[in-house]
Amino acid sequence: MSLLLLVLVPFLAAALVPWLCRHGRGVGAWGGAAAALSAMALLAASLPTALAEGSLVQRLDWIPQAGLNLSFRLDGLGLLFAGLILGIGLLVILYALYYLSERDSLGRLYAYLLLFMGSMLGVVLSENLIQLLIFWELTSLSSFLLIGYWRHRQDARTGARMALAVTGAGGLALLGGILLLGEIVGSYELSAVLAAGDLIRGHELYRPTLILILLGAFAKSAQFPFHFWLPHAMAAPTPVSAYLHSATMVKAGVFLLARLFPALSGTWEWTLLVGGAGLATLLVGAVIALFKHDLKGLLAYSTVSHLGLITALFGIGTPLAAVAGVFHIINHATFKAGLFMAAGIIDHECGTRDMRRINGLWKYMPYTATLAMVAAAAMAGVPLFNGFLSKEMFFAEAAEMADRLSFGWLLPAAVTFAGVFAVAYSLRFIHDVFFNGKPIDLPKTPHEPPRWMKAPVEILVVLCLLVGILPGLTVAPLLGVVAAAVLQAPPPAFNIALWHGFNAALWMSVIALAGGILLYAGRKPLFAWHARNEGLLDAKRIYERLLGALLAAAVGITRGFDNASLQRMLLVFMLAILGLGIAGWMGSGSPLSGARASMPVDPVSGLAALAMVVATVATVALHRQRFVALVLVGSVGLLVSLTFVKFSAPDLALTQLSVEVVTIILLLLALYFLPHYSPAESSAARRLRDAGIAGLVGLGVAALAWAVLSRPFSSISGYYLAHSVPGGGGGNVVNVILVDFRGFDTLGEITVLALAGLAIYAMLSNTRLQGHTGDADGRAWDGDPHPAIMASLTRLLLPLALLVSVFILLRGHNLPGGGFIAGLVTAVALIMQYLANGVAWTHARLPANMHPAIAAGLGIATLTGLASFHFEHPFLTSTFGHLHWPLVGDIHLASAMAFDLGVYLVVVGATLLILIHLGLMHNASHDAAATASGEAR
Amino acid sequence: MSHLPIAPILLPLCAGILLLMLRHVDIRLRRALALAAVLAQIGVALALTRAVADGAILSYALGAWPAPYGIILVADRLAAWMLLLASVLALFPLWHASHGLDTRGRHFHVLYQLQLFGLSGAFLTGDVFNLFVFFEVLLLASYGLVLHGGGVERIRAGLHYVVINLAGSSLFLIAVGALYGLYGTLNMADLARLMPATPAENLGPARAAGLLLFAVFALKAALLPLYLWLPAAYASTSAPVAALFAIMTKVGAYAILRASTLLFGAEAGGLAGLLDAWLLPLALATLLAGLLGVLAARHLREQAAYLVVASVGTLLAAFALGSHAGLAAGLYYLPHSTFAAAALFLLAERIAAARGAQADRFEAGPRMRGEYWLGALFFLAAILIAGLPPLSGFIGKFLILQAALAHPARAWILAVLLVGGLLALIALARAGSLFFLRVERQRDDAPQAPAPVAPAVGLLLLGLGLTVAAGPVHAFAGEIAEQLLQPRLYIEAVLGGRP
Amino acid sequence: MEALLSALIGVLTAGGVYLMLRGRSFPVVLGLTLLSYAVNLFLFAMGRLAIGQPPVIGTGLTGYADPLPQALVLTAIVISFAMTAFVIMLALKARAELGDDHVDAEHKP
Repeated sequence: MSLLLLVLVPFLAAALVPWLCRHGRGVGAWGGAAAALSAMALLAASLPTALAEGSLVQRLDWIPQAGLNLSFRLDGLGLLFAGLILGIGLLVILYALYYLSERDSLGRLYAYLLLFMGSMLGVVLSENLIQLLIFWELTSLSSFLLIGYWRHRQDARTGARMALAVTGAGGLALLGGILLLGEIVGSYELSAVLAAGDLIRGHELYRPTLILILLGAFAKSAQFPFHFWLPHAMAAPTPVSAYLHSATMVKAGVFLLARLFPALSGTWEWTLLVGGAGLATLLVGAVIALFKHDLKGLLAYSTVSHLGLITALFGIGTPLAAVAGVFHIINHATFKAGLFMAAGIIDHECGTRDMRRINGLWKYMPYTATLAMVAAAAMAGVPLFNGFLSKEMFFAEAAEMADRLSFGWLLPAAVTFAGVFAVAYSLRFIHDVFFNGKPIDLPKTPHEPPRWMKAPVEILVVLCLLVGILPGLTVAPLLGVVAAAVLQAPPPAFNIALWHGFNAALWMSVIALAGGILLYAGRKPLFAWHARNEGLLDAKRIYERLLGALLAAAVGITRGFDNASLQRMLLVFMLAILGLGIAGWMGSGSPLSGARASMPVDPVSGLAALAMVVATVATVALHRQRFVALVLVGSVGLLVSLTFVKFSAPDLALTQLSVEVVTIILLLLALYFLPHYSPAESSAARRLRDAGIAGLVGLGVAALAWAVLSRPFSSISGYYLAHSVPGGGGGNVVNVILVDFRGFDTLGEITVLALAGLAIYAMLSNTRLQGHTGDADGRAWDGDPHPAIMASLTRLLLPLALLVSVFILLRGHNLPGGGFIAGLVTAVALIMQYLANGVAWTHARLPANMHPAIAAGLGIATLTGLASFHFEHPFLTSTFGHLHWPLVGDIHLASAMAFDLGVYLVVVGATLLILIHLGLMHNASHDAAATASGEAR
Repeated sequence: MSHLPIAPILLPLCAGILLLMLRHVDIRLRRALALAAVLAQIGVALALTRAVADGAILSYALGAWPAPYGIILVADRLAAWMLLLASVLALFPLWHASHGLDTRGRHFHVLYQLQLFGLSGAFLTGDVFNLFVFFEVLLLASYGLVLHGGGVERIRAGLHYVVINLAGSSLFLIAVGALYGLYGTLNMADLARLMPATPAENLGPARAAGLLLFAVFALKAALLPLYLWLPAAYASTSAPVAALFAIMTKVGAYAILRASTLLFGAEAGGLAGLLDAWLLPLALATLLAGLLGVLAARHLREQAAYLVVASVGTLLAAFALGSHAGLAAGLYYLPHSTFAAAALFLLAERIAAARGAQADRFEAGPRMRGEYWLGALFFLAAILIAGLPPLSGFIGKFLILQAALAHPARAWILAVLLVGGLLALIALARAGSLFFLRVERQRDDAPQAPAPVAPAVGLLLLGLGLTVAAGPVHAFAGEIAEQLLQPRLYIEAVLGGRP
Repeated sequence: MEALLSALIGVLTAGGVYLMLRGRSFPVVLGLTLLSYAVNLFLFAMGRLAIGQPPVIGTGLTGYADPLPQALVLTAIVISFAMTAFVIMLALKARAELGDDHVDAEHKP
């Protein structure tokens, strides 16, 4: 897995370098350089096989079932890019060592740079397209870090975020495109995709696929109209710009075009989209570049323009054009990296990059000036420099293309026009900076930079010249290999030479050069014009407006819907269930009523029902008078328990009754701390709306109830009736279900009760509540908290009540009763003591802390269940026997009753824990209130 | 006989009771006990997963009462997967809380264990009413935990959380009641056996009941429009509780998945695909709504809460595909989203502590101590949760998108998920650059006691683990999906050979 | 009789829902109580109605009412009791902390 290793090396180094930098900047630099060099070595190692077989592919399973594997591919194209990334990366590392001031953390910069280097290597060496996308997004992320490196600067932060947003968005589009591509081809492996060109082009999904992929590539390569992020990325330190915008980041997009050239190109859609975007970018970039006063701004837009040129070449789509595209990738990388570094030196030496102030540097740094001028000449496409050759090929292709189109002459015209501007801005870069009078109040006096800061530029410039003068010897062989990889076919015969005779391309070059010089000579009025209409069509401003609108919309929608109001939540909830319920019924076409015969209504039940309706309506109507409403609710509860009695559910009736009592006591105590009246808040309309919704929900539930009740029924309950006595040892089937058949429910349920007790205890501990000193009408409470009659009465009642509860508990298994009811009875009895005799008196006789009861109850219930493990039975398996008990009589003694005892304890414990806690606070506040009122009197 | 299926339920219950009895002993001992219990729970969950990995479906008849009369616990691959996820997640908030939060109020550890008791029960039970009971258990425990530590915002959000869930519980009872009234049984397998034979005139009430049940689960899962309770509750509670609650919405998602495959699966006759028709649009809408909230968030905890909403949308969109690939993708995404959200909540607290007066509000603040480490962690968490390459979030999203390509509405799903990814990217970039790039000055006020960072790191490492082991994990998710798409297996395992 | 009970359930539900939509915590609690009555009756009725047939074996009855829903309702009653108790206390706590008993109260010390 030499390729995997090759990609991993920079990542590992990234983790290491910051640490190295602690031992001196030089050490860190060496560390970074070592990483790049060893990666180069690995590249060289796997080169022979790659060249021999055309491509070297290495695979490692990751998620094979999803077609996502770690698989790497080294062929001509990958080789070229890997070489550029590593080579220029190495130079940038060296350069940054001198560029970066002592105040900035070199370690952080190197770490980010190496992260980025690794990601780029991943992109260009990926065989699996999803893996390519992964590295693609990693370049976006690491460039975010690089651009935002000078975090104290606003422009750096916004530039970084803009770059991330645009390229990230492109990445997501690319993901979509690749997914579709995989859907078409049935694999994400490049070898499969590149071989399936005709299948892809013929597929119905071709257009969406192409568009999505191109969106990704264009966003990355700053093609119009996504070009705006690139100039703002110039807020990064110059070494970063030199790296990102010459050889790597922005080249990823054109790399993708080259990579997928055989799979996607060759249709009119491709030519139109790619060629069009390229041409537009070429022109826009070239024109804007001329007007930039910022040195790096000029270079940035010229980069945009050159990327457009490369894109346009791939758009033309002929093999020769593709070759030219690759060639220009190489050339642009070399001279643009050199130019950025030169600009960095100038910036470093002058303390500014404003060309209106930087003039006549020739006197101060002739050597750097020479280097910069060579690179600039290459950028302009002057003969003898590499830029000329590829630009010449571009012109030739454009002219060639022209014959195949109506209005074809527009193409060479536009291209030459762009060439004119390219010459002009290159000329400005040279003349404005190095000549053109004297520098205007520079922060510091410039002089030649340290030796090694210039070295990288020298190397690049020499390359420009070598390629420019002796293309046949230097670049042609490499170009052949790369072209073969791009086209997935033997490359066309091409002949790179300085002189092709007097052909169209030559004339176009001549026009471009002459026109450029003229244009620059007559620049003054143009600049004035530009200054007047600056920012008429500023893509950045549009982008920011869009982003602002998005954020505003997000805030509006979110706050509008999610206004953190319970009333809103409940309203939405009710509407939702209404909608779902109705939608569920609709479309089924079932009748509302079923075939089952109803029971007749006897007058008593009719009256009771009427009473319940009245009580309910009254509760709603009078809900603002809380005491009244509470009493009414209590009466409704009473009627509910009567309903249970009526329909042969004695256990339910008892439980409902006792729960009712406790709940009412609770609410009464609560009212002591709450206002006694609700203010009239909601408007009539609001009340009407709520009433409507409530009515509909009620109607729906009633309809559902009726629908089910009126339908015939058969259930599993026969089993319980049959097995209750023989299997469960109890005659009261309901109780046997609770403690045996479905004892597990009960275990959960007492846990809920216990939790309620504990949670309330946890919630209310160390809370002070302020009660009323009198009732709502201002009458003070009765001074005597514990009336004698009630006190003595309850003291008499207590043993009786306890006896009853024990009795209920014991008989529960056979007759109505059981743990709950017993527990609640006990609880009520004890609460009566509190109410009647006060906390002090009661605590003297009863344990105040109910935690042990709860713990014991849960423990007993659980242990009863666990006991059955001993007999190799599942949890909660019951057993029972007989026992003759004086007075009570002959009773079944079922293991389930132990369980029921647990239930009993938890019920008592939890209920009392809640009420006592409230009562304690109640008393505290009550006594305070009483004394207060006493003093008042 | 083997009691393995009930072990994950009894273990936290006993631990809870024990911790209640030992409430007065030294806190360190109780912490050790609680952590040990969770570790043991992980062990049990692993054992259970191993036991069912080969496709066996263990059914455990409580009280030795045969199905469908007694309550049956059913441990299939899905249940084991959820248990494993819940127990592994539970370790980290507990670890975090053991640095002092657990003493800022009563009974934290008891509530925590009983919360796990409720979760395990909900995942294992094969009985609809028992499911209701366990929902109530885990809800009441969660009420206690949400309010733990007190504080005004917490109380208000807590009140909303409690009341809306009480409404949900009532609805649950109505739905269960209606199902019993129609089919005369409570056992899920038995229901699944009877539902295909629903007579035509009963389809109306049956479908209505089914959708009401769906509404209950949707409320738990925080599916649009029923997610309104979540943001405030999660954003205002303590970090460890919020982190633990990353699993709470997944309970709803689990219930939806169980119902839509077992009860309303392809073989359910007139009830087939009852939920799926609603699930996909609602899930996509939830995803977008959540991400709009992420953009609009005023502080990091709120942002994390909305990210939970968004992840629910993504997850349920995957489940809504109904295909094997879709379920597999969702079941891979499930643990990822849980760990990532939990990690973000824990990190948020740490960041808030490190920033002092600004807490985690989205405004320029002071430089934090140890900002590089915090920044790296946040960067990692953000990549994870925003679904950016190369981490598990991206893999999950990729798997879901890949599965979506086979769906008729693929264009919509692709568009929503991709745009959603962009929104998350923008929002998190904004947050990150505010916290770590736009630092104005040194801290002026005195630093608070820094929250522990190790648990968050642990969760992030889990995310990395899911990335590296994506192959096998996704393969197992595929096996779960395979089992879910054959409800017959479940029914036979519970009811035996009954026709 | 069935129709009558269904209507009752509907009325109780409607009353409960209306009160739950009020702004103050106390009416909301009352609403929840009414709703729980409705739900308990609903669940209970799902075993169909029977008069004079309590499911207690050995009382010399011929037919028995469906015991299962009764057991379920019993569980439901206790759970809803626990929940009601909790929400009441929470309402008190909210009043104490927020200085207001409106469910959406902002903090007013």
